[in-house]
Amino acid sequence: MSSPALVRQPEDSMPATALAEAGPSPAAITRPSTPPSFATLGLRWYRLNRAGLRAAAIGVISLLAFLLVWHLLTTYRVVFFVRFTNVPSPLAVYDSFVKAIHDPKFLMHILLSCRRIFIGFSLAAIVGVPLGLIMGRFKLVHEVIFPVAEVLRPIPAIAWVPMAIMLWPTNEQSIVFITFLGSFFPILVNTLHGMSLVDPVLVRAAQCLGARERSIFREVYFPASLPHIFTGLTVGMGVAWVSLIAAEMISGQYGIGYFTWEAYSLVQYADIALGMIAIGVLGLGSSLLIRGAGQLVMPWRST
Amino acid sequence: MVRHLPTLSIAMSSLALLATQPASAETVKLGIGTQDTTTNTVTAGVVIRQLQLLEKYLPKDGKYANIKFELEWQNFTSGPPVTNAMMANKLQIGMMGDYPLIVNGFTFESNPESKSRLVGIAAYSLSGSGNGLVVHKDSPYYDLADLKGKLVSVPFGSAAHGMVLKAMQDRGYASDFFQLVSQSPEVGSTNLQEKKIDGHADFVPFAELLPFRGFARKIFDGVETNLPTFHGIVVRTDFAEKYPEVVVAYFKALIAANQWLRADPKLAAEKIQEWTGINKEVVYIFLGPGGNMTTDPTIKPALIDAATTDVKVLQNLGRMKEFDPKKWVDDSYIRKAYAEMKLDYDAQLASTKNYEVSGEDSFCKKPIIDPRKAGEVWVDGASIMPFSSASCTLGAYADYKAKGKKINVAYVFDTTRGIKLFADQAFFAVGNGEVAPFLLKKDAEAYAAKFSGKVLGFDDAMKAAVGGGKT
Repeated sequence: MSSPALVRQPEDSMPATALAEAGPSPAAITRPSTPPSFATLGLRWYRLNRAGLRAAAIGVISLLAFLLVWHLLTTYRVVFFVRFTNVPSPLAVYDSFVKAIHDPKFLMHILLSCRRIFIGFSLAAIVGVPLGLIMGRFKLVHEVIFPVAEVLRPIPAIAWVPMAIMLWPTNEQSIVFITFLGSFFPILVNTLHGMSLVDPVLVRAAQCLGARERSIFREVYFPASLPHIFTGLTVGMGVAWVSLIAAEMISGQYGIGYFTWEAYSLVQYADIALGMIAIGVLGLGSSLLIRGAGQLVMPWRST
Repeated sequence: MVRHLPTLSIAMSSLALLATQPASAETVKLGIGTQDTTTNTVTAGVVIRQLQLLEKYLPKDGKYANIKFELEWQNFTSGPPVTNAMMANKLQIGMMGDYPLIVNGFTFESNPESKSRLVGIAAYSLSGSGNGLVVHKDSPYYDLADLKGKLVSVPFGSAAHGMVLKAMQDRGYASDFFQLVSQSPEVGSTNLQEKKIDGHADFVPFAELLPFRGFARKIFDGVETNLPTFHGIVVRTDFAEKYPEVVVAYFKALIAANQWLRADPKLAAEKIQEWTGINKEVVYIFLGPGGNMTTDPTIKPALIDAATTDVKVLQNLGRMKEFDPKKWVDDSYIRKAYAEMKLDYDAQLASTKNYEVSGEDSFCKKPIIDPRKAGEVWVDGASIMPFSSASCTLGAYADYKAKGKKINVAYVFDTTRGIKLFADQAFFAVGNGEVAPFLLKKDAEAYAAKFSGKVLGFDDAMKAAVGGGKT
């Protein structure tokens, strides 16, 4: 199970960078009574967190390697079928980044995008999960809704732009609607999938023990499909960020997707890359949050 | 059988290699980025493509005897994607409006493989017409000042954006006078239709197209900025230096396309509608006689001066560093094309004349003397009839209607600014035996005040013209 390791990564990444001088860890300092020495405590801590540290260290190294390769490819303007001649270098993107963080507008872009994603995603979860549960339990509902959902699901976010503008009274709602669509279908489909995998023996057992429909839902179906629901939420969150640029084409003013789009219309490659990376990092952060929430809700799975 | 296959395929492929190499028929890809829906670039793009004019003029002898050009036309709705594809060397020739052109030239400064050069003009308007700002037809806005504090969208980095900035500068508006946001034409048009925004400024053809489609009204035309606007053609220098004759051939095709347009503007408008989906009536208001755009490929100094002004606007916005448009222009190819077609480049360069409405007024029975006071009526399925004045145009319109003929559209000219208008969208100052059309209500009111006349809409003006304006 890779998810717990990933979740632990942020806490661990700090000590991991100081791995070379790993001995005096903060935990050791706070305990002054000294029977076991600092060294043994440090060693014990290291043993306990070895897997996490390893993953974090490898993660950092692979990111650094990515940056290095990017730097070399763009510095030497490598051309081997793929052409890096005009791709901005990491340093150019860093310059853009420094300029951007001194600009209060950039923070505004990020905050507004986060808010849009949060609202769109929350609505998708609130609608998608119960709908999936009901569709999984009642055949008629499934038969009615499933074909419609399957037709709407493959439509790309950008194709929704004109419709979204016409459907909703304000642009903010149109934008939220597109992020909602992005996350809704993965959540629905995964919830359905989770429901279909619930062991019928468990359901029958509950019924034999006199459980009513509500209890069966609460005690059997819901917990059994939770892992898939959380997979759906993680994927849904990812797709919500994917649809952000399409959604924020409507905005015309703020949002990290809009920032990227505007950079494109003024052909500023470093800013485009900055917007892409910002979306990536924000997407990663929000996925981590969901995985963390998953661990809280399903403690029985955290190993 | 199976065992023989590998040897067979090796033999076949080596045979194929032998067959192709000695002949050395080199294939060179030529990518051309067009903007089909941006009506003022059509003679540099879609017309050449559809009439296969470039194939006609491409060099075929000398060093080109063994080169086969593979033309790849790509259509975009705005300039920046063209620049992007040119940077990636997927396109070698591209066309776009003045602001995107400058961004193109500036972006190429940092490209180590190639620079870009402005080598010719697709169409221009010295007075800055073409760009415009429209509002919803039911809105109470008739002037830029009415939009104070309102939500106005414009595609940032476009020629229309430049027009808005210049207009704000001219009028001394602060930068937050409008809530200015960036929306592409597609998004802005839908938003305006749904009244989500109060105004939308855009480039050709949207300021005419949206009113024509019936939900918008133009309240500001680029002529009020009096800053020339143009669409031009840029080329990658690495391609142009390697195959200069091809660039020259392209310009011969462009000149031929312009001649085709002017030979029969009505047919051209119909064809262009077929190829691009932009209504022929809208195409005609830009490219027809006395239209708001002049198709002329020569690179006029006035346009380069305008580009220098545009650079300053972009610099003030922090979008650009040093860039000198004069060094970016290269007129050698277009000059060569003119010379080889036995045309006089310098004469054309000095001329800023468009072709004009001409002929005999069949309704008022007199020749057309002042083409910018004239008018035209497009009778459906028949021809476009010229008339000598606005009142004759309206009179003829009423006459055709009475005879049960279907009319596509009628054109008149703004009395003071000389730009071509859709008659049914114009404001008419009527009185004193005169019918004077205007784009703007305030202009019409000011004019009518001079002889205590009235400002009428199209239908009332037509009645007035039938009543007394005929003579």
